[in-house]
Amino acid sequence: MSVLEVRDLSIRFGGLQALEGLNLDVNEFEIVGLIGPNGAGKTTAFNCITGFYKPNGGTVTYRGRDVTKTPPHVKAAMGFGRTFQNVGMVKSATALENLRTAQHAKAGYDVFSGLIGTGASVRAEKKLTDKADAILDLLDLTAIRDKRVGGQSYGTLKLLELGCALATDPDVLLLDEPTSGMGPDESDELGERLLLLRKEFGLTILVIEHHVPLVLRVCDHVYVLNFGRLLAEGEPSFIQTHPEVVAAYLGGEDPEALAATHETAEDAELDAQLEARVHGVTATPAPEEPVAEDEPLDDDTTELPVAPKAKRAAPRTRGKTAAEQREAKAATPRPRRTKKDAT
Amino acid sequence: MDVMAIEIVVPAVSGAVQGCVYGLLGLGLVLLYKSGRIFNFAQAEMGAFAAFMTAFADAGSGILPDMPVWAAVFFGMITGILLGLLVERVVVRPLFSAPKVTVVVATAGVFLFLYAIEGFLSGPGPRSATRIIDGDLYTNGGLRITNLGGIIVLVLGVLAVLSALFFSRTRMGTAIIAVSQEPTATRLVGISVERTAAFTWAVAGLLGAIAGILLSGTNGVIAPGLLTGLALVPAFTAAVFGGITALPGAFVGGVVIGIIEALAASNIPKDIMPGSGKVILFGALLAVLLIRPAGLLGKET
Amino acid sequence: MSAEVYAPPEEAAASPAKPHRAPRSYGPIRWLPRILFLLPFVYWVLWRIPNDEAGAPILADACIYAIVGLSLNILIGYTGQLSLGHNGFFGIGAFAAAYSLTVRDVPFAATFVIAGLCGALFALFMGFIALRITGLYLALITLVFGLTLEESLFEVEWLTNSGAGQPADRPEWLFDDRNFFYFCLSFLLLAVYIDWRLLRSKTGRALLALKENERVAEAFGINVTAFKLLAFVLSGTLAGVAGALLAYRIGIVTASGLGFNLALTFVLMTVVGGLGSRLGVILGASLFASLTFLLDETWVGVVQTFLVKVLSFGNHTAEINIEGSIVGFIGALGLLLTIVLNPGGIAQQIRPITRWLSGKPFSLHDDKDTGPGSVEGSSVRA
Repeated sequence: MSVLEVRDLSIRFGGLQALEGLNLDVNEFEIVGLIGPNGAGKTTAFNCITGFYKPNGGTVTYRGRDVTKTPPHVKAAMGFGRTFQNVGMVKSATALENLRTAQHAKAGYDVFSGLIGTGASVRAEKKLTDKADAILDLLDLTAIRDKRVGGQSYGTLKLLELGCALATDPDVLLLDEPTSGMGPDESDELGERLLLLRKEFGLTILVIEHHVPLVLRVCDHVYVLNFGRLLAEGEPSFIQTHPEVVAAYLGGEDPEALAATHETAEDAELDAQLEARVHGVTATPAPEEPVAEDEPLDDDTTELPVAPKAKRAAPRTRGKTAAEQREAKAATPRPRRTKKDAT
Repeated sequence: MDVMAIEIVVPAVSGAVQGCVYGLLGLGLVLLYKSGRIFNFAQAEMGAFAAFMTAFADAGSGILPDMPVWAAVFFGMITGILLGLLVERVVVRPLFSAPKVTVVVATAGVFLFLYAIEGFLSGPGPRSATRIIDGDLYTNGGLRITNLGGIIVLVLGVLAVLSALFFSRTRMGTAIIAVSQEPTATRLVGISVERTAAFTWAVAGLLGAIAGILLSGTNGVIAPGLLTGLALVPAFTAAVFGGITALPGAFVGGVVIGIIEALAASNIPKDIMPGSGKVILFGALLAVLLIRPAGLLGKET
Repeated sequence: MSAEVYAPPEEAAASPAKPHRAPRSYGPIRWLPRILFLLPFVYWVLWRIPNDEAGAPILADACIYAIVGLSLNILIGYTGQLSLGHNGFFGIGAFAAAYSLTVRDVPFAATFVIAGLCGALFALFMGFIALRITGLYLALITLVFGLTLEESLFEVEWLTNSGAGQPADRPEWLFDDRNFFYFCLSFLLLAVYIDWRLLRSKTGRALLALKENERVAEAFGINVTAFKLLAFVLSGTLAGVAGALLAYRIGIVTASGLGFNLALTFVLMTVVGGLGSRLGVILGASLFASLTFLLDETWVGVVQTFLVKVLSFGNHTAEINIEGSIVGFIGALGLLLTIVLNPGGIAQQIRPITRWLSGKPFSLHDDKDTGPGSVEGSSVRA
């Protein structure tokens, strides 16, 4: 069953059509990635889904309920946990305070018993602190428990922000670039964390992410946005080689030409690795190491070609196996569902 | 003249003249907002301080010699400029990177400070203000425009046009706008942020002084806090009404506000609604801020 | 999904270390010097000054101002909404109490409820405005609101006894100024308790969160609209009750003392005391309430001699009301110095002492967690 269903979502700011006819499904326990070049409308989509923007058209359905016009704080109470692109926390407060603030909707007492100071409210406060401590412990952030959030490093903030989103007791977690400000190692660690969190808390996660290895590893499904439209969707491996996606990242060039230059040795190897991951067979004469889960994916070239430089540096030898695979793939028409809905 | 005319025209005309003074004060407020996003709650009291100095110089009290009226007015205007410079240097500049609301509270502090100083100098009671010129420009039945009223209209008109030209035509004017919008970048291209700010405050002090001297003249007496109570809110309303960043807007807004206030005050009896002028102003300000925050002449952003 | 899933195991609950403990603990003994330090203050404030004929009313004023300061602190310090119209809420409370007692024969105790409600109502109105108008414009509109009330509602004949002022007589048991001070003090203690509970409960956290970032607050599930209004209502209630106390303190309510200057004085004492700090605000308010008392006539005389004899300003030597001006002078100077040089106010200055009193070792330097960045809204954990 779809936890989150976005249908035909559109929003415009003045003359700019920021989103147009976006369709998106997030199923129970899935981790869904939302990628696209800068300015593609990813964060706008988040803001529409979480209620910060009022879309001009379309619907957002959460577990069968139409929540398009539900204000953000109600959605937070319903189970939408979110993080922001530029760290959304109370910077002047401590980590612990932030985690307690984030539990606002589930605090378990009303404003007036809090002001009077009834026994129940005091006990509830104690529980909030316990839960905050548990989250700090879970994320290995106990060291900054009583530190002011403002002075911490960006990566720490991002992690703590994830903690705050967890503290809202979410059902769906929407993460906006959770690894920005983190090094590759930390990012990998975060990937592990997300998988762990999903398992432990039964979360459904929608994540905007630029760090491709992470997307490849954790996402079950990826949506690609460009200029406010859905460009492609599918499994990570499929998206990674999708010519239009590549074109979108490189910007405006002829997709066919790009598809041709795309077939470098590295790409071929990668394709094969991905194939292996998906189907459980190793199709290429692999490099020394066996196709492991992480290491080879850390390679620069596995990044979607965000930086054209990396692309140009790549040797343009054509891998045979890759060509074969491509032919095989071409035989079965690719499910290019750019505009139609996915159901 | 028929009754209708007396009830409407007379207060409308005197309101328009009064409104010009609001516009004059509003001009200073707009200038400071335009250049530094500051609401100066001390603007009226800075004018009052200059008016006090004019009155002191005119009467020759204290260490000041007994000056002729023109010299006293000149002295008052100089005081206004110096006061503007002083406020900028001592209060505004140290708060350059502070939140704007803090700066606004600080200007309220400047008001209280001036209020206290004036209390020291003059005592709490009113003293007679300097009247630049006596006599009437035009009288017809109940309608009466004094020479001073004529001067006010003239001065405001000239100043509004001059300041508008200043911002569109001169290097300094452009620099001020640039500083207000991009302080860092402006500094990079070699414009001194400090100097433009000092200049702005000096001009604001001068505008305040002119408004204060003229207003206290029409009012006849002057006392600590009197001008603030009388004119600060209408001046702000005028500035907001005309679009807080539009200099001619302050002029138009001032006249509109003056007329509205005068009509309300003269046509709504005090026993039904005391302070009706102020209530209407509050309503007008609220309405403008809620419905059209950019004001009548301001641009929608 | 639910809290039970990751309810902390025992060691997790114990592990969040409390790093800043005093290196050596002297047990209960270490409180002794602190108590000895506080005793003289307690003696003076609770016994010595109240028994002084001139001192008691000033202490009562201090309590009243302190309640207003706390009320204003909720808006400015916690919620980030500048109100320059607090004289309005305060005055409404004063008039409502006096009117309901004298004209409507409402029982004494009930007048406080009425005053609080009236203050809350007007504050709610201002709160709705604050939802749409923010920042500098809010400062402006609150200021205009206060001025308008001063000139309109506070001049209405039936409310002001045709301008003569609405009498508000204390009941017999409060005739004594000392008793009245204790009465005011109990209200102040109540206000302090509410303020303390506010910060210790989700409400205070919600206000601090929305002050800093409304979107984050919303993402945390905080209803920003409702909590902003709540802050205004709470603030208005406190100001209204303080107004009622003032009515009984003076005995007659007129518009003259409830103007623009009062609103500015309120903001001023709160800022000088230290925004966001409960103790600072109370001290700041007390300072302003007792300024006339503290500056005895010799001070005034010196200034007067200087102005009148040396500069020979003002030809009416006799009727110079220098006491009134000097309060404004010192206050304004204090405000400007605070804002420009010492944004933490009194609260920041006395932090070494308050920290010591709270049981930590004495040190002139701030600990890291409450560094200079903590100036505004610092007392999340106060």
